[in-house]
Amino acid sequence: MSESIGAGYDVHRPEDRELMLEAIGLASIDELFAKIPRDLRLQRLMDLPPPLSEWELDRHVRALASANATTLTHLSLLGGGAYDHHVPAVVSDIASRGEFLTSYTPYQPEMSQGMLRVLHDFQLLLGRLLGLPRANSSVYDGATALAEAAWMACSIRQVPRIAVAETIWPEWRAVLDTYMDGRGVTIHPVAADPDSGLVAPESLERTLARTPMAALVVQTPNMFGVVESIRPLAAICKAHGALTNVSCYPMLLGLVQSPGEQGADIATCEAQSLGLWLNAGGPYLGVIATRDEYELFLPGRIVGECDDLKGEPALALVKEQREQHVSRDKATSHICSNQALMALRAVVYLSTVGEGGFRRLSRLNAQKAHYLCDRLCSLPGVALAKSGRFFNEFLLSLPGDAASVLRSLRDERIFGGIDFAGLDPRYRHHLLVAVTETRSKGELDRIVAAFARALSAAPRVDAGGDRA
Amino acid sequence: MKTASVLDRSRQGFGGAAVFDPEFPDVAGTEWFPADEVRTAPIGLPELSELEVVRHFTGLSHGVHGVDSGPYPLGSCTMKYNPKRNDALARLDGFARAHPRQPADTLQGLWDLSLDLQRFIAELTGMDAVSLQPAAGAHGELAGLLIMRKYFAERGEPRRIILIPDSAHGTNPASAAMVGYECKIIPTTPDGLMDLAAMDRLLDRNVAGLMLTNPSTLGLFEENITRIGQRVHDQGALLYYDGANLNALMGIVRPGDMGFDLVHINVHKTLSTPHGGGGPGAGPVGVKAFLEPYLPVPVIRRVAGRAVPDHDRPSTIGKIKTHFGHTEVLVKAYCYVLTVGALGLKTATENAVLNANYLQAKLADLLPPVFHERCMHECLLSGGTLKVSPFDFVKRLIDFGVHPPTLVGAGCVHFAKQYEAAMLIEPTETESLPSLDSMIEKFRKVAREAAVAPYMIETAPHTTAVAKIIKDQAAYISLLEATTP
Repeated sequence: MSESIGAGYDVHRPEDRELMLEAIGLASIDELFAKIPRDLRLQRLMDLPPPLSEWELDRHVRALASANATTLTHLSLLGGGAYDHHVPAVVSDIASRGEFLTSYTPYQPEMSQGMLRVLHDFQLLLGRLLGLPRANSSVYDGATALAEAAWMACSIRQVPRIAVAETIWPEWRAVLDTYMDGRGVTIHPVAADPDSGLVAPESLERTLARTPMAALVVQTPNMFGVVESIRPLAAICKAHGALTNVSCYPMLLGLVQSPGEQGADIATCEAQSLGLWLNAGGPYLGVIATRDEYELFLPGRIVGECDDLKGEPALALVKEQREQHVSRDKATSHICSNQALMALRAVVYLSTVGEGGFRRLSRLNAQKAHYLCDRLCSLPGVALAKSGRFFNEFLLSLPGDAASVLRSLRDERIFGGIDFAGLDPRYRHHLLVAVTETRSKGELDRIVAAFARALSAAPRVDAGGDRA
Repeated sequence: MKTASVLDRSRQGFGGAAVFDPEFPDVAGTEWFPADEVRTAPIGLPELSELEVVRHFTGLSHGVHGVDSGPYPLGSCTMKYNPKRNDALARLDGFARAHPRQPADTLQGLWDLSLDLQRFIAELTGMDAVSLQPAAGAHGELAGLLIMRKYFAERGEPRRIILIPDSAHGTNPASAAMVGYECKIIPTTPDGLMDLAAMDRLLDRNVAGLMLTNPSTLGLFEENITRIGQRVHDQGALLYYDGANLNALMGIVRPGDMGFDLVHINVHKTLSTPHGGGGPGAGPVGVKAFLEPYLPVPVIRRVAGRAVPDHDRPSTIGKIKTHFGHTEVLVKAYCYVLTVGALGLKTATENAVLNANYLQAKLADLLPPVFHERCMHECLLSGGTLKVSPFDFVKRLIDFGVHPPTLVGAGCVHFAKQYEAAMLIEPTETESLPSLDSMIEKFRKVAREAAVAPYMIETAPHTTAVAKIIKDQAAYISLLEATTP
C-alpha cells in the first residue's frame, strides 16, 4: 500500500497481489490488460490533483460549501418549484442507514424486503396524496415526471399531440420540449386568463376542438402561484376524449382535494417538499400516479405484492415487462436508476408529520404566505398581479424594477423572491414570492420593513440607472 | 414473515412532529379555496409517534442487504464500498441548504466544484467537454443521443438508425427509442465479442451511431475497438461509449483515445457514490470538442477567471432536467476523485480486474468461464454443469450473506438466449483477499451442496424474512398478456 495512493483505498498488500496473480497464472498486473491494444493505452498518469488526506479534503470541501450562500445565511422567499420546508431530523437519520444507503435496486427480493416495503409504502402514500391508486416508485424529478407522464398519455390515447398550459414552470416546459421532441410529439399551447392567471377554459376548448389531443398537461399551483380548478378543466378534457394530466405541489394537497378527486387521469409531482433538502437543485423526487387501467403505461419501477415459495405474502419488483431491461426499445421509458433513497425520505417524512401534521403544515404555509402578501400589498404601489387564489407563492407587481429591489434586499441578506422577468420577459416589474412554515412572524415583519426600504430606493435607481 | 406497512402501525391522533407556530393560531383551512375544492376527507397518511417511526424504519433496514452489510457481486452494477467521508461532506449546509434559484453569484462554491469535476471527468474519459446535468446513466444516454441527433440535424443528415450489440444494457435501446431512433441489434460472436461482419452489414450512411459498452456486459474487452471506430467513422457515424464498465479501464485506456466521440459515466460505478436502493445516481456526459456546442444547458465555464453556469448556447439540445444536476451525488463523486487521485483510480481499476480474474480462476472447476479467456472487471461463469439451476444456486448464496450475481432476467443486464445458464459476477475493486476467499468458499460450499442436497438449494433462501420468490409466479403474471404500449 503506497502512501501516494491515498486514504488506504488500495485493498491489497503487495503479497496479496502476488498470491492472486499466481492463482490466475500471471506474472504481472500488466498482463491482465493484455487484450487492450498497446497503442491505445495511456502512457502517463491521468492529470488529476494529488490525493488529499481526509482532513485536507474536509477543509477543502468545507471551503467550497461555505462559498455558497444558503437559506440559512439568507432569509429566503425563493420558490419556483423548490421550497425551503423543514426536514425533521428523523428523515436524514433513517436515510443515512447503511443498509438503505448502500443497497442496489431490489432485484433480489428475499434480501430486500425492507426497501421493497418502503417503496411500496411510497407508492401507496403518494397514491393517496395524489388521489390516484397506481403510483410508480419514482422518477428523477418533477419535470421529468411531467414529461414522462405526457408520453404516457400519448401512448394510452395513441395520439402524438398534447395540449400544454402555458403556465407551467419554464424549465419544466424546456424539459418537456426536449422529451417530446425525441418522441415526435407536438405541443399545443393553452393560454391563461391574463387577470386571474388561471388556464382559460375557452382556450382549452379551442385547442381540443381543433385536433384530437392525448391530454391536457396543467400545473397547480402554476407559475403565477395560482391554484387551478381542475374539475372544470377535466370535464372539458373528458368531453373531447383527452386525458387530464396534472402536475402539482404536494404541500397544497393538505388543503385542497387531490388531482384524482378532481378528475385527473394522471397526476405527477415534484416531491422535494416531502423531506428532501434543497440540495442546490438535486437530487429531487418525481412521481407519477394514475388510474388502475393505465398502470402498465407507467415508467420505472413498480413494487407489488406476490407470494413466496411457501405461499406467504411478500413484495417484489413487478410488471417489469414495461421496463427497459425486459422490453428494451419497446419499454415505456429508459429509466433504470431512479430516486429510491429520496422516496424513502418522503415516506419517513410523511410518517413523521402524519395526517394531522401534514394538513397543519399546509394551513401554516397558506397562513404565512397570505400574511406576508397582505403586508406587502399594503406598501405603496405593490399589488397582487393575479386575481386567482394562491397557496404559499404569489406574484406581486412592483412600482419599480424587480431586479433592483432584489439587490437591495440581498444587501440585507434576504433572497426576496424570483425576478419574474427571468421566467417570462413580459413581466418586467414582478416578483414571485414563496413562504413556507419555516419563516417566523418576526422574520416576515423584518422582510416587510426591508421591502419598504428597498422599494423607496428602487425608483431612484431606475432614474439614476448608475447602480452597479 | 411479511414486513409491516407503516400504515399497519398507524393509530389515529398520533404524530404531528411538533408542527405548530404559536404566532399563527390554527385556522379551519376553508378560507382560501372554494368549498367544492377544499379538502374535507382525510388523505390517509399514517399517524405514529416519532419513536414508533424510528423503530419501524430501523426494523425495515434490517431486512436490506447493502455493501455495508456484505459482499455484493452483482455483475455490471459495481457495488463497491463508498467512503463515508463523501456522504458526510455532501451533507454540508453549503450544498444541502442552497436553493437552486439563488442568484448565480451566490453559488460560487458549487460552480468551482462543478468546473473541477467536469475537468476530472474529461481527463478520465479523454473527452474535451462535460455536462454534469444528467440524473443517471440512462439520462446521460438520452443526453448523448440527443446530441447525436442535433449534430446530424445541423448537418442536414436525417440519419435514423442506432446500432447496439445484443449484450447492451436495456437502457441503450430504450433511450434510442425515446430520441426517435430505430435500433438495429448486432449479435455476439461465439468468443463473446461484437460481431464485426454483422456490424459491417448494418453500417451505412443511415446510421447515426453505434452505442458500445467496453468492456462489454460479458466482461470482455472489445479488442477490435480501433477497427470498429474506423468503420463507424468511415460512414460518418458517431461512436458512443456507455460508461457502465469504465471502472475496468481507469488510467489504462480512455474512451476518447479508443475513438469514441461521446460518453456517459455512471458515477456510482466509475467513481463512488452509494446507490441508495435504486438511486439517485448521476450520469455526466462527455463529448469531443466538435460536439461541445450541443451539450445540455447549463454548462459550467470559466469566464474572466470565474466559474459560471452558461445557459446561452444556441446549439444546445436544451434542458433535460429542471435545475443544474444531482448536486449531492456529484459532491460525493468529486470527493472520491480528490481522495484517491490518478494513481488511486488506476489502482482501483487494477484491483477490479485482478479480483474478478482471481474469483474466476478459483471457481473455474465448478463454474467454468463461459469464454475461455481472462476477464476484465467481471466474469461470466457458466452454471450449466451444476446439479441445480443457476437461479436456485444464487438464492442459496443469500443464506451465507452474499448478494447473488447477475442472472438472466435478474438485473439490469440483458443476456442473449445462449447465456441463460450464466452468472455475471463482479466482486468490485474494494473487496480484499480475505473477503474474496470467503466469498469463493461460499460459492464452493453451495456447489458442493448442490451435488448432495439439492433440495436445500432449491428451497433457499432459508434465513430470510420471506422464502424464495419466483418472479414468474408473482402477482403480475396474468398481466403479461395485457397490452403494453
